[in-house]
Amino acid sequence: MTLRTDHIAGGVFVALGLAVFALSGDLPIGTLSFPGAGMMPKLVVGLMIVFGLLLIVRAGESAPLASLPWTDLPHAARIVAITAVAIALYQPLGFVLTMVLLLFALTFGAERRHALAAAAFSIGVVALTYLLFAVMLKTPLEPGILGF
Amino acid sequence: MMGTVESLLLGFSVALQPDVLWYAFLGCLVGTIVGVLPGIGPLSGISILLPATFGLDTTKSVVMLAGIYYGSQYGGSTTSILMRIPGEAASVMTCIDGYAMAQKGRAGAALCIAAVGSWVAGTFGVIMLTLIAPPLATFALRFGPPEYTALLMLGLVFLAYMSSTSLPRTLLMACVGLLLGTIGIDNMTGHFRYSFDIPELGDGIGIVPVAVGLFGLGEILSTPSANMIRKVIAPKLRQLLPSRQEWRESAMPIARGSLLGFLVGLTPGSAHIISSFLSYALERRLSKHPEQFGNGAVAGVAGPESANNAASTGAFVPMLALGLPTGPITAVLIAALMIHGVPPGPTLVNEHPNVFWGFVASMYVGNLMLLALNLPLVGIFVNVLRIPYAYLYPLVIMFCIVGVYEVNHSIVDVWIMLIMGVVGYGLRKFGLDPAPLVLGLVIAPTFEMSLRQSLIMSNGNWTIFVQRPIAAVLLAVCALLLALAALSVIRARKDWRSKLAEAESGEGT
Repeated sequence: MTLRTDHIAGGVFVALGLAVFALSGDLPIGTLSFPGAGMMPKLVVGLMIVFGLLLIVRAGESAPLASLPWTDLPHAARIVAITAVAIALYQPLGFVLTMVLLLFALTFGAERRHALAAAAFSIGVVALTYLLFAVMLKTPLEPGILGF
Repeated sequence: MMGTVESLLLGFSVALQPDVLWYAFLGCLVGTIVGVLPGIGPLSGISILLPATFGLDTTKSVVMLAGIYYGSQYGGSTTSILMRIPGEAASVMTCIDGYAMAQKGRAGAALCIAAVGSWVAGTFGVIMLTLIAPPLATFALRFGPPEYTALLMLGLVFLAYMSSTSLPRTLLMACVGLLLGTIGIDNMTGHFRYSFDIPELGDGIGIVPVAVGLFGLGEILSTPSANMIRKVIAPKLRQLLPSRQEWRESAMPIARGSLLGFLVGLTPGSAHIISSFLSYALERRLSKHPEQFGNGAVAGVAGPESANNAASTGAFVPMLALGLPTGPITAVLIAALMIHGVPPGPTLVNEHPNVFWGFVASMYVGNLMLLALNLPLVGIFVNVLRIPYAYLYPLVIMFCIVGVYEVNHSIVDVWIMLIMGVVGYGLRKFGLDPAPLVLGLVIAPTFEMSLRQSLIMSNGNWTIFVQRPIAAVLLAVCALLLALAALSVIRARKDWRSKLAEAESGEGT
């Protein structure tokens, strides 16, 4: 049997549904005349499992898993990793420092642009954005260790 | 009728104030840029700029955000015609004949027809919104919990029926959204649901981190920067005027596209996208020269471009009159209204006339602004495309982080956005549309509350949904749509939706 994309997609959602169902043990379903906090989630999870199974049953209509292109995955993984670091640093370092580092890491690190161009771009864009948000739109940005 | 005219005059007195005009212009300008740029759709544009509106009053913020939505429909045609790259999904059909016209040296004429068609359709849509929304809101005052439950159910089923992906896929995504919507404190019993002792999850998952993650970051992760090589053609101003023959050929498609687009816009789903596909199919069917379609048919530009603009205006009718989002974009706009303490729905017209009529009037003005922006300044907007993608997407990621963080000053929201970005990337890989997920998330609280209230009202009797006439009619329509969808699966034949999906996948790339 050829493994197809809908086998995987359907399987993931069935597994997710079962996991959520297991986590919902302490939520009371209540009665029909007074439904409890667990009624809606359990109803929706049940439907999710049904639709996941339907995907698996009708998986023959989907593309073979082997035909999925994954050439973009390393690039996507780099972006996710850099963004995750930036999110972790956002509150300690603040908007200005974090965003300069984020833009530089993406343009120089992920996109292999010239270091000077990447640095000029990062500093220039962050300065302009700070002016737009903090000065013109009066939206306070995260101050961090620089104090602004 | 006189009441409507008086209310509209009140609206213009609000919309023509210099500061409201400025925010309408800003929204239209940003919307045009969002429409021009591939990879950034109106949803991500609105979501990213939502926090910037917190310091504004309700009217200005909604006027600006709505300007981004309908402005993006104008801007989307530019890249479609000049580069055969749809700036956003609703412009996919314009690529076919718009680009063919550009190759024949008629790029300027195609841009002009698209802009004028968009303006006519947008203005028609606003006139219809002016006439339909207030009486619909009055009618909706009769709605109780059973009617709202049935209406929301119809919304989900209609979305699934109209979707170009299969019914189980769309409903599966809607279920995931509904499930995410149950996270947090249960309003009726106070139970914590799936919050894992994270205090921020007690209030539930916000629409903005989910929408920005799925559509903004998810799109970036799915777009390898090496593939984004662009060749830009900039038409000269004098080349913009269409010939008399081209005007004649575009008149009826614009009229039909406006009407069709508005009607489709009233229904749930990605109406602005679906309407452009339907309009293209309709024009090809009605044309005396169907062989010209694909080779630069004027109707192939005029019809879809008018339809997507009319649809984006039509989507405001259920949003403003019923408080119901017909898609993720109107869902975020509803969130914007609610953040400002203005609940959209039947009471909006009477309790906040300045907001409602000011918003409607601003759309008349906004459409005029867009016509002015999109014709003489087309050369400037095209230059935005010269920014290399390697510099553009880091900028978008920065705005995603800042935008999401600024909503609640919550870093948990930003982590949710990142997780949703990865989820969005995965969903795209496996051909699952994230839009129903966002819709499910938005309607989940209202749906759950009205369902439970209905059951409490009837003492646990499910027949309450068929005993009340409005709810019964809405559920009958649900059943009919499900039966139609099931019938096409059983007969294993291709209906118009699967043909549409084929056209989308074939022409959209």
